[in-house]
Amino acid sequence: MIRFLFKGLLRDRQRSLLPVIIVASGVFLTVFLHSWLTGVMQDGIELNARFITGHMKIMTRAYSLDKDQLPNDLAITGSNELTDSLNSRFQEAGWYQRIRFGGLIDVSGSNGETRAQGPVFGIGIDLISGNREEIKRLNLETSVKSGHLPRKAGEILISNEFANKLKVRVGDKVTLIGSTMNGAMAMYNFTIAGTVEFGTSSLDRGTILTDLIDAQAALDMEDACSEIVGYQKTGYYDDELASGIEDCFNELYSKEDDEFSPVMSRLSEDNQMAQLLAYSGKFSGIMIAVFILAMSVVLWNAGLLGGLRRYGEFGLRLAMGESKGQIYRSQFYESVMVGIIGTIAGTILGLAASWYVETYGINLGGIMKNATMMFPSTFHARITPAAFYIGFIPGLVSTVLGTMLSGIGIYKRKTSQLFKELEA
Amino acid sequence: MISESIITIKGLTKDFPVGSGYFRALNEVNLEFGRGEFAGLIGPSGSGKTTLLNIIGSLDTPTKGEVIVLGKDISHLNSQESASLRKEKLGFIFQSYNLLPVYTVYENVEFPLLLLNLPETERKKMVMEALEWVGLTQKVKSRPSMLSGGECQRVAIARAMVKKPIIVLADEPTANLDAENSHHILRTMATLNQELNTTFIFATHDEKVISYLKRRITLADGSLVSA
Repeated sequence: MIRFLFKGLLRDRQRSLLPVIIVASGVFLTVFLHSWLTGVMQDGIELNARFITGHMKIMTRAYSLDKDQLPNDLAITGSNELTDSLNSRFQEAGWYQRIRFGGLIDVSGSNGETRAQGPVFGIGIDLISGNREEIKRLNLETSVKSGHLPRKAGEILISNEFANKLKVRVGDKVTLIGSTMNGAMAMYNFTIAGTVEFGTSSLDRGTILTDLIDAQAALDMEDACSEIVGYQKTGYYDDELASGIEDCFNELYSKEDDEFSPVMSRLSEDNQMAQLLAYSGKFSGIMIAVFILAMSVVLWNAGLLGGLRRYGEFGLRLAMGESKGQIYRSQFYESVMVGIIGTIAGTILGLAASWYVETYGINLGGIMKNATMMFPSTFHARITPAAFYIGFIPGLVSTVLGTMLSGIGIYKRKTSQLFKELEA
Repeated sequence: MISESIITIKGLTKDFPVGSGYFRALNEVNLEFGRGEFAGLIGPSGSGKTTLLNIIGSLDTPTKGEVIVLGKDISHLNSQESASLRKEKLGFIFQSYNLLPVYTVYENVEFPLLLLNLPETERKKMVMEALEWVGLTQKVKSRPSMLSGGECQRVAIARAMVKKPIIVLADEPTANLDAENSHHILRTMATLNQELNTTFIFATHDEKVISYLKRRITLADGSLVSA
């Protein structure tokens, strides 16, 4: 009997091919969107971690309270010794000094008058010492649009968009006007070594990258830095590991009654990152729930329409001597078969599309150009182990659920009514 | 005089709810059918023929009265028991053939035997025998869409007869057929009635069918006019 029904299922495309296409489409969307959203979230988290938050970050207590103001008068002093200490004590991560600063970039004309000027966000990182960790982390080599990476003191990188706005080119000199660590006015000349595209609108709008030593010199911050960022050596953020290091560091180095004592925070404690991390965890769950609901409605309707179309057949089968229970069970088996085939097909298609977007990405820079939060312009999908099984929830569960719900009609209708529909 | 009574109907009344009231489809019907009858329920549309056929076929239940089919009281059968009665003892022939379009002639006729869990070799023998009765052994691999209306109805007869049921209920079996095919079908059923001693009960107002009947039961407005 099962073989008989299976034969019918294969031959009747409205019972097999059409539902399989519907299920596969739904599963495809679920798998692809899951991978896409996971990728977007993780890209955002990693980008922020690379440029701003690190996996862990050390600031002075006072600096951490107003960190958005970039208050370098509250920066860490004796930063070299502290960094050495961190590198020897917490070897699960690498530790890097950075200076973040704000100011104005002034471009002078041939007679020395101001030709162009604009507010700038600057990051001082280790660019020319020979340690290329920071260069690799920020992906600077491939981000250079013109010129080259700084090779000597006094050279900077400037965001390509900002350079175009200021109408400056590689080799031009610009002046940073800012504030020293001691609150005095700082004016420091730099030479543009290259222009870069960071791939995130908030940085591309107006950012310069200087060598850490140059930034220290420009802002009178010798042996000082705004922050020391730590990156776990696995390359991926592990909240549990970060938490352990944070607790240990704060116990050893931080004093609550000293506002200049260093304090460590981890990525998940950053306001925006905390939300993003929480969202990235919950978003998949919400998305799956929405998809299960939406697909259940779609498949319920598909099942209902399919069921209504088959009431004549059910009437005949009842007349032949099948019980309502047997018909209901056969519908269940059919929906399981359709669900499994559709889910496998949809998962394969979803993974293929996800792989493509994971590899090549989709550039949404135009949409993100006014974003205040750091998000990459090109979004990539991310295939996680969950992508291999996530489709089974809506694909199989919803299909079977939809069929079961529509199949209740068999029980609700009197046998004679089904029989009349057979004759209609 | 009925030799061996297989269907006994006493005081059968059937009401269908209509709005806040009801419509009486059958009113105090008393009837009896014997083994091997070739009988027909005759009457205009709405006279209650199909309702009576459905109740005999355990597809519906009486509102009042008693219907005993092959010793079983239809009113007291649960869904499983009525399905079992239809599966083992009853055959149905419909006005619009109702063949399963995705299956071949052979598979359509085989379907009732699958429900009886008969072994494949026995099924094959019985299917071929049934197709021989209706003269369609050459069409075993054809799908219903490849057959004429008359051939489809012959397949339907083979499907109803393949398990050699005691009773065959036929609701307007010639309504969709031309005269020649109607006579062919009726001759086939009459022959099977003779050879297998199967009881045939028709619901019809077709004069061609009526001319073949050995017993005519006339219904009007749900009541028995003559039996």
